[in-house]
Amino acid sequence: MKKVLFLILAFTLVVLSACGNETTSKNAATEDTKETKESNEVNLYTARHYDVDDELYAKFEEKTGIKVNVIKGEADELLERIKREGDATKADLFLTADAGRLFRAKDDGLLQAVSSDVLDEQVPANFQDKDQMWYGLTKRARVIVYNKEKVKPEELSTYEALTEDEWKGRVLIRGSENVYNQSLLASFIEINGEEKAKEWAAGLVANFARDPEGGDRDQAKAIAAGIGDVAIMNTYYFGQMLNSEDPEEVKVAEGLGIFFPNQNTSGTHVNVSGAGVVKTAKNKDNAIKLLEFLSAPEAQGTFAEANYEYPVNESVEATEILKSWGEFKEQDISLSVLGDNNAKSILIFNEVGWK
Amino acid sequence: MQRRLANVNVWTVTAAIIMILLFLPHLTIVTSIFSPSNENWAHMKEYVLGSFIKTSLILIGATAILTILIGLSLAWLIAQYQFPLRRFLKWALILPLSIPPFIGAYTYHGIVNFTGVIQTTLRDRGGMDLNPAYFDIMNLPGAIFIYSIFLYPYVYTITRIFLSQQSASLIESARMLGKGPWHIFFQVVIPISRVSIIGGASLVVLEVLNDYGVVKYFGIQTFTTAIFQTWFGLGDIESSIKLAASLMGFVILILMIEKLLRGRRQYSYSTTKVRPLPLIQLKGWKAFIATGYGLFIISLGFFIPIAQLIDWMILTFGTIPMGEFLTYVKNSVTVAGITATAIIVFALIVGNFSRLVYGKIAKLLPKLTILGYSIPGAVIAVAVVTAFIALDRFLEPLYRMIGVDTTLVLSVSLMMLISAYIIRFFAIGFNSIESGYDKIGTDFRDASRLLGVGLTKTFIKVDVPMLKGAIISGFILVFIDVLKEIPLTLILRPFNFDTLSTKAFQYASDEKIMEASQASLLIVCISALAIVVFYKFLEKEPD
Repeated sequence: MKKVLFLILAFTLVVLSACGNETTSKNAATEDTKETKESNEVNLYTARHYDVDDELYAKFEEKTGIKVNVIKGEADELLERIKREGDATKADLFLTADAGRLFRAKDDGLLQAVSSDVLDEQVPANFQDKDQMWYGLTKRARVIVYNKEKVKPEELSTYEALTEDEWKGRVLIRGSENVYNQSLLASFIEINGEEKAKEWAAGLVANFARDPEGGDRDQAKAIAAGIGDVAIMNTYYFGQMLNSEDPEEVKVAEGLGIFFPNQNTSGTHVNVSGAGVVKTAKNKDNAIKLLEFLSAPEAQGTFAEANYEYPVNESVEATEILKSWGEFKEQDISLSVLGDNNAKSILIFNEVGWK
Repeated sequence: MQRRLANVNVWTVTAAIIMILLFLPHLTIVTSIFSPSNENWAHMKEYVLGSFIKTSLILIGATAILTILIGLSLAWLIAQYQFPLRRFLKWALILPLSIPPFIGAYTYHGIVNFTGVIQTTLRDRGGMDLNPAYFDIMNLPGAIFIYSIFLYPYVYTITRIFLSQQSASLIESARMLGKGPWHIFFQVVIPISRVSIIGGASLVVLEVLNDYGVVKYFGIQTFTTAIFQTWFGLGDIESSIKLAASLMGFVILILMIEKLLRGRRQYSYSTTKVRPLPLIQLKGWKAFIATGYGLFIISLGFFIPIAQLIDWMILTFGTIPMGEFLTYVKNSVTVAGITATAIIVFALIVGNFSRLVYGKIAKLLPKLTILGYSIPGAVIAVAVVTAFIALDRFLEPLYRMIGVDTTLVLSVSLMMLISAYIIRFFAIGFNSIESGYDKIGTDFRDASRLLGVGLTKTFIKVDVPMLKGAIISGFILVFIDVLKEIPLTLILRPFNFDTLSTKAFQYASDEKIMEASQASLLIVCISALAIVVFYKFLEKEPD
């Protein structure tokens, strides 16, 4: 009996030490370096999973000697982790691909205001939080793509027009669980009011070519397959398809036209990727340095080049492919409302039966 | 008598500690049932819950039936008959388990969608313009297909081990009495393997209930959708945990039904020898059908998706950074190995406890540890984070004493992730071990004890060798499950810790399924290797 207990105990200890040791020694190492010089780390919780981001972190380390430690996850789950870790959290910077989540982080008191002349110069005011708690890094527009053979761009005008009878059975868009759709509706709640926004959602559901399924790319493919004629999708997915390794996807994308809606009215819906410094950040200065680096021309160019996102930094020129889509008018709203109205849009989606 | 009681107590205490540790994090979830409902809860109830629950019930019902049909029929074929390729199929039929369902879903959609190989071939070579709606897999039947074809190995593995090792005498008796194969199948095989079938199928049901990847991508709204909608969409984690708690309630109900279905009948060994079932040689068209059926299923669940993944890998080779992949492999194997070992050890102790202690509550308690497998990983993650941060704060003075100047130590280490895995996948290992215990009963153990052999020695010399098959299958199932696990690994990992599954998920979630092929294929390779190593070299069971 004793043997069994001993075995269990020994095993537990081995596991404990195997898992615990690594971090303890790492922590110890951190402590040591802290004493000799300023901490040379920054801890990042990010909801962006792109390879290009990793390359940028590596470049940052090369340039500044500051190591970027990363945990990648889903935005809401990371936020919950920061919340539960409380003031002991190791997170210094929170990065995500939706302004609504940045708002939520701020609203929950997880971020702190930081001021930096460099950031003010690189990130235009409308892509900063008004209290400087977060800064936008890249823009993505949610646009209409259409079947070049069946639809003339003149027939398209606004998101609202897609609810008219002539589009019955022709509209494609993904499910309501998707945050880009939630932010889109949230922006309409701000611009047109809740009533009108709900009418729009109900009208669009009535014109759906099929029950929502798949991601943004799948909507584009459904146009090619003839299931519908127009789809609402994000610009960078379109860019990725045009440059896909799969020639069939390229073929699909080439058959589609891109249209920036609401140019004569409220403007095309734009969302951002952005980041904010965590309230209890232990490496605040390094976090700001990383923010500055990511919004500087070099990194901004990389985002545009590799991921077809629009740079927020106005001194950076858009890439060829982005330029080919043309300039466009953006929604003129504070991006914080996307987060503010997020819950309302979910309720509307459920009420109008948008799956 | 005194000694015996004392001994039982030591086992009991150890088992109780394990069960409490496994259950503790769930307290966060369970207590939420008592929190007051808010307007979000009312909204969910009014608009969506009804239809979500209906969809979930159809999904789990149909998947359970299909996996039982596939798993049991294959287990029966392999256990009872000899036919070409049987030895290969015997272990290869587990392979579909190595493909994470969400990767399977993306892959199958990739095959059948407009730019997929089927439609493009028909268009370009055949000049056919078929209605693309025929090729739509992103719906409820599609999801049922995906879950069934990638999860049936749960039923197959557990049932096959049982049938081939432990049913010989009963089936042989039936054969000698001149009963035909169908009669034996329905009158003998199904009743005696009920425990294994239900054990396997309940794992499938739980896996379907907790999965979010497939249904999210396919746009199917299930109960899990409701949980995430209230959390991510409405930002109301309390209501979302409350929903998860009701899901737990539902699972407890299923467990009770399972207990009822098992009834009181026991089919433990009556002889001292574990004999394998002698195989009947199939000839002619019968052999052809048996081989064909096995190959058909494994093609759907393995070869077809693998071929597509390999195709994508070739297409995208060199376009994504590969430098770190060895580290990912090492990380994946390390956490999977530690977790699987720990779970098997714990399951052996708890299983032994539940076998030796009498009383309904004592029997039901270990079953409660299965709860970790029933709710979405993201919700468990929240519970585990909460528990570990509390633990860290409790231990903080100790950390200071040894000179660590920080509060979070355990909760930023691998320890948290591995504990979460253990809580999550304990049910998988336990189900396997439990059906093993069920089969060997207590007679041999009692005999050994009567002969004066110590408890521990009896356990190691008598029980463990008889449980070998169950231990191996339990270990492999857990190992593979950890390799492909996703929400826990994402949320609970330490800094700079990537595994193959986080890599695969990273690409797939950005709709880059082609780029996800490398990591997915490596997961499959390692799983396959584990299966081969264990079955070919360790099990050495005569066929």
